[in-house]
Amino acid sequence: MTGRESDNDLAEQLARRSAEVEVLRRIALDINATLDLDPIYDVVLRTMDECFGFRHSIILLLEDSNTLRVVASHGYQDQALGGTVEVGIGVIGMVAKRRRLMRVNHLRAQQAYFDRIRSQMQEAGRANELGEVMAVPGLADADSQIAIPLMIKEKLIGVFSVESREPEPFSQHDETLVTIVASQAASAIQNALLYRAGEERRLELAEAHERLKELNETLEERVRTRTRELELVNRDLRETQAQLVRSSTMASLGTLAAGIAHELNTPMGAIHSNADVERRAVGLIRGIVRDPSVASKLGPQPRLERTLKILDEINQITLEAAERVTKIVQSLRSFARLDQPELEWVDLHEGIESTLTLMEHLVKDRVQVVKNFGDLPKVKCFASQINQVFANLLTNAVQAIDGAGTMTITTNQEEAGVVIRVADTGSGIRPEHLERIFDPGFTTKGVGVGTGLGLSITYRIIENHQGSIGVASEPGRGTTFSLRLPITSTR
Amino acid sequence: MTNDTKLPNEIRVVMDNGIPAVVVTCSADGSPNATIISHVHYVDESHIALSFQFFNKTIRNVRENPHACVSLNDLRTNTQWILDVQYDHSEAEGPIFDEMDMRIEAIASASGMAGIFKLRAADVYRVKSFKSLNKAAFNR
Repeated sequence: MTGRESDNDLAEQLARRSAEVEVLRRIALDINATLDLDPIYDVVLRTMDECFGFRHSIILLLEDSNTLRVVASHGYQDQALGGTVEVGIGVIGMVAKRRRLMRVNHLRAQQAYFDRIRSQMQEAGRANELGEVMAVPGLADADSQIAIPLMIKEKLIGVFSVESREPEPFSQHDETLVTIVASQAASAIQNALLYRAGEERRLELAEAHERLKELNETLEERVRTRTRELELVNRDLRETQAQLVRSSTMASLGTLAAGIAHELNTPMGAIHSNADVERRAVGLIRGIVRDPSVASKLGPQPRLERTLKILDEINQITLEAAERVTKIVQSLRSFARLDQPELEWVDLHEGIESTLTLMEHLVKDRVQVVKNFGDLPKVKCFASQINQVFANLLTNAVQAIDGAGTMTITTNQEEAGVVIRVADTGSGIRPEHLERIFDPGFTTKGVGVGTGLGLSITYRIIENHQGSIGVASEPGRGTTFSLRLPITSTR
Repeated sequence: MTNDTKLPNEIRVVMDNGIPAVVVTCSADGSPNATIISHVHYVDESHIALSFQFFNKTIRNVRENPHACVSLNDLRTNTQWILDVQYDHSEAEGPIFDEMDMRIEAIASASGMAGIFKLRAADVYRVKSFKSLNKAAFNR
């Protein structure tokens, strides 16, 4: 080489290096001028091809501690986008694992050596020692490759790789070029990622703020709705609890009534029998005394006659009292209906009568009971529950009457059901209380007098029978409860 | 052509060309052994390194008799390079080990043989002499 040729050569090299420096400067300016990832990828990969002749290049970002994902590529038919590489697998994976640049030439020949060993092991029956051949994104027939970790301080964010089908196209100088570009790209990509993360966070915060605002706006309504729901649940709970308590009480009362009835029946039989013997004995004495043969000997016996008359009267009172006790016992049994816990055809008049019998001590001479009973068919229902309804309504009516008054019970058939009305001439219910009288716990009777559960239970029993209950009241004039029951309840 | 110690720069390309090299060793009792290895690593102009992956006859031999001979082929120029080397020491860590280990593991991992090709040490040899033979000329 002459001195002139040497000078020309040096001048060419200098010009090439100057051009490369200019390209590197332009890349640095371009990729730092944007915070969008796609333009950064595009500048890096396109420039590597157009200015340095690296036809096939790829950028992968670390997705998690063990996986790299292809986010940009250039020069590949399928672009390899979205493909993944496991850290530690292949050239790219190894660069990520060791965080060191790797330049491999004659890659195919080296792979061929490994493939040959693999085949030999398979032929030798040692296939079980072999792992899976891993496909990595990139050229299937690459013969050389430079891969470089994208690092920010000590932290790996991805890998930049260039490939070629030529066996040794990459020189030490190429390695330097790729290192400079990768370093610039890493900073720009990291900035863009941080910006994007910041934007996403800002959007999330804005959305959260909007949601919060919306929640605040609807909070009051939600609280109201929830309160209503809770009130309903609470009401159901109290009703269920009341029903349980009342059912339990009724069951105890029924058992008690059955016991009392059984225990009273025997002595009542004796009383009845003795009174009858006594009545016949008095008749016999009176017959003997009045016999002419005896009367002529005894003469008039006015004291004996008076005594026999008194005995007759006492005997009559005893018999009437015994019949009344028997009737009360039958009413108790009828009211509780313990022996018939299933749906049955029931004569409602019978239930009303039984209830009235048990309430006689409340009614006495103070309240006049008027019965306007119509022609009612039997109704299919739970008798003990319906009797409980009658007891509640009739007791309320009697208790509403302060002093003397009238309770009128009217029954009749309407369409496919029956109607029972219980009207009293009592104090009536104030309008503001009317809406709440079926609420569990609501009472106007004062502490220790009423539990506030009677009408609530009544309401639930009628509802379970697919019936309805209504109330009309005028303060100072009285109240009327109207009960409607279908003849056949399906429940 | 022979040279006592300094390897020429062009031999780096030959070492890097992916063509398996042949290593010939000799036991203490004089029994020779030839084996193929995937890669000869250029350390500096007077040293090379061979991978120690399996405890085979080559390794046993050089521990007994440190002299060995390495044959490299350059298919582009049809040249064979023969290096007379002497086992110097082994490195199980450090830059030479790391570079050889990384290259082996990168390719082995993708080939499903990461567990088989595991570098135990980089055996460093001093180059005593070398010669290159042009096969075309030799064959004429």
